[in-house]
Amino acid sequence: MSGNIETDACDPLVRIENLRRGYVQRRPFSGSEYTIEALENATLTISRGATLALVGDSGSGKSTLARCLALLEKPSAGEIWFNGRNLLELQASELCAVRSQIQLIFQDPVSSLNPRMTAQEIVAEPLAIQKGGTRNQQRECAIDWIVRVGLPNNCIAKRPMEFSGGQRQRLAIARALVLEPKLLILDEALSNLDLANQECIVQLLADLQAERQLTYLHISHDLRLVSQIADEVAVMNEGRVIEQQPVAKLFSSPKEDYTRELLLALPSLESICIDRSA
Amino acid sequence: MRYLGRRLVHAILLLLAISFSSFALLQIAPGDYFDALRLNPQISAETVDKFRAQYGFNRPFPVRYAQWLRSALGGELGYSLASNSPVAPLLRVRARNTLLLSGTATLVAWLFALPIGIYSARKRGRWLDRVTNLATSTLLTIPDLLLFLGLLLLAVRTGWFPTGGMTSLASQDADPWTICRDVAFHLVLPAFGLALAMLPVLVRHVRTTMIEALEAPFIRAARGHGIPRARLLFRYALPAAANPLISLLGFSVATMLSTTVVAEIVLSWPGLGALMMESIFARDIYVVVAIVMLSSIFLLAGNLLADLLLFASDPRIRTE
Amino acid sequence: MMRRHKLWITAAVLAAFHAVILFAGFFAPYDYSAQNRDRVFVPPTRIHFIDGDGKLHLRPFVYGFAPEDSTPANYTIDTSRRYPLELFVAGSPYRIGGVIPSQRHLLGVPLPGRIFLMGTDAYGRDQFSRFLYGGQISLLAGLLAALIAVLLGVTIGALAGFYGGWLDEILMRGGEVFLALPWLYLLFAVRAVMPLHIAGWQIFLLLVSVMGLLGWARPARLIRGVVLSAKERNFVLAARGFGASDAYLLTRHILPQTSGLVLTQLALLIPQYVLAEVTLSFLGLGVSEPMPSWGSLLSCLQQYYVLVSYWWMFLPALLLIPMFLFYSLAADALQERTRSVQL
Repeated sequence: MSGNIETDACDPLVRIENLRRGYVQRRPFSGSEYTIEALENATLTISRGATLALVGDSGSGKSTLARCLALLEKPSAGEIWFNGRNLLELQASELCAVRSQIQLIFQDPVSSLNPRMTAQEIVAEPLAIQKGGTRNQQRECAIDWIVRVGLPNNCIAKRPMEFSGGQRQRLAIARALVLEPKLLILDEALSNLDLANQECIVQLLADLQAERQLTYLHISHDLRLVSQIADEVAVMNEGRVIEQQPVAKLFSSPKEDYTRELLLALPSLESICIDRSA
Repeated sequence: MRYLGRRLVHAILLLLAISFSSFALLQIAPGDYFDALRLNPQISAETVDKFRAQYGFNRPFPVRYAQWLRSALGGELGYSLASNSPVAPLLRVRARNTLLLSGTATLVAWLFALPIGIYSARKRGRWLDRVTNLATSTLLTIPDLLLFLGLLLLAVRTGWFPTGGMTSLASQDADPWTICRDVAFHLVLPAFGLALAMLPVLVRHVRTTMIEALEAPFIRAARGHGIPRARLLFRYALPAAANPLISLLGFSVATMLSTTVVAEIVLSWPGLGALMMESIFARDIYVVVAIVMLSSIFLLAGNLLADLLLFASDPRIRTE
Repeated sequence: MMRRHKLWITAAVLAAFHAVILFAGFFAPYDYSAQNRDRVFVPPTRIHFIDGDGKLHLRPFVYGFAPEDSTPANYTIDTSRRYPLELFVAGSPYRIGGVIPSQRHLLGVPLPGRIFLMGTDAYGRDQFSRFLYGGQISLLAGLLAALIAVLLGVTIGALAGFYGGWLDEILMRGGEVFLALPWLYLLFAVRAVMPLHIAGWQIFLLLVSVMGLLGWARPARLIRGVVLSAKERNFVLAARGFGASDAYLLTRHILPQTSGLVLTQLALLIPQYVLAEVTLSFLGLGVSEPMPSWGSLLSCLQQYYVLVSYWWMFLPALLLIPMFLFYSLAADALQERTRSVQL
């Protein structure tokens, strides 16, 4: 259930190499510092038009990697190659243009939408910030996208509080796509939804990917979901990417012990065995 | 211990900064003590200048500040021009009077605020609580100026209490016990007024804190275990509520030197506030700076005391 | 139902009160400096509907004074002189807001009658008019000072909270100095050190700026707290992901979160600063005569015979109580509102 899989190994959309990210903490009374390494030499690639799932336990560094990729945090070392350019060496002016190409969708739609803004303002905000078009054009574009993600037309003046969880996540998706990005990062974006909503949004994402050749990075701890939607899976443990393989191979013959343990923790592995013949 | 040391150093730096800024502020202002002399046509300009030189007023600002600092460290805190004496002894007497007043008022206020607040919290929503709420809201909105004027009127009209001052003429040379009684008699009105002014804020805080403590889950669990109400209140809820109350106590102590100005002026209590006003009108700059410093010291000491008490009483802070 | 509209009701009452003070010239029957040397310490004039003969008049009226021997001890009411109350009379000229000249007053009685709604003072000046004009000074001082303190507090608190690091350290340390200063004393000190004969508006400006400049520390601390928690919210991060600048994030997303806090701080600070101005002028350190201020209206109460014999001189202070009450109610309502809106 993914879009075009162009296994373009020689020209991936994203190539992350040896990323490091440490947080400096201060001990309360003695004042001495110590560093928590959230990312340690993390390396992975994402092919164009593909869906990569990033799995691992909490604390393994998945979200940190996502934020570094989305340029919301600065890694202490390493390289991030996007579309042939190293993001960490860009000037501020070029960064702005690149930002519209990579968008992040958060796990909790309640906190990621400003409760004081209306739906239409929220979705139009990226355009307003990037100054794309006149006010009217921005408005039209926003309404367009709100409808495209499956929300009713009459809700554009409502505030996030008046939507359900699934609808809020759709709003977040609309907002992320309004700038026509190439890469969409979903940081546990489906975890807070009930199964019915999850299915709908998964379908929506698949349609959009087919339509627009989008590349997805899904961060999830839900292996069942991963088996359903991903082309490739990368496994993270303690800040490192220990394994990256196409999904079928990973599930049938994982290379690392840690991966094996993760998979064993899943109930009835056979029932979710992937059939990719279709 | 290290914590204490750090706070002390911090406080000293703060005091230096305060002394510097208040000194600077008063320096910037045009005019000084000798302006009154200047207005007198019989005193020549040279005489005035000579006076100024004698007291060091014509030296540049940093020199004067350094001089003042040296004097402060030596225990003198500068020289009062109006009363022709070093500042420190002046302050000592007046500060003692002010502390007597504010100390009594604070004590009385807390003595009443605690039971009233706790009881209100217990009987929350009932008519006693509502009545207390109304009373505190009303008291809160009465400006203390009006309060003291009203008390003065009461004293004048009824003659029950002396209308001001700290001692009466009759007790000048009497024995200590009579002096004590006399002072106490004079103390009643101003202390009562001050206590009334402090009461509403205290009662409100005590009440809010107790309500929060009483609604805590562990209290409900204890009640479920059948622990009697009185024991619950005193052994469980009160210690939990102690934390913010101690901070409040620190705040009460901290402002003890500055809340008495209006009381002292309206009821003629010879304290620090009254001295402040006199020095201000006489442009006696060193006294003014010294009083500002003293109040700041009290403020910082009060906060430090509160922090130390918290440190000692709340095990959570110690193990952080 | 009252609960929900508590905020609007108190705001409306306060607005009405402030409007009356703003248009003091219209509501006051007399000018604030108009003296009546023969009407010194007159008690408040009674308004009657029924005259000495038992006749009812639809239009209320006041009595005049017998012309002989008019000293405070023996003011005698002369029931033969009746002066009907008139609305929208032409009286002494004044300027609306200091700019537009006008002569209309709301109330008045024809000369030589006088209507002293709150009595007169030692120079025979109408206390009611002086109360209204005095309110202009005291309220304006309080409002301006609170505004300055809050604006400064918001700016500094937002910068400290948003950028953190050494800027935060410096600003908050500085704030501690300001919090530790006994501001009332300092205010007195600054005022008194100015030459005693500087112009009224200079004193006013000085008062306002000192109060405002000393008072930013507490609002700043509170605002900083809100900014610190707001800047980690996901919608701020999302906006950053769209390439928003710091200024945009602050103005569009973070500062609106502080609006409830700002209003509450204003409602708490305004009465405090008004009271400070009143205390200062009571002590003789405020704006100078003849411009009245609420404090100077009360200062004559320090004299024994005034305190004991002329009860109406207390009225300005008594009228302040409801105003402070409504400010306090407004602050409570705002606090409730902020707490309930906070997610």
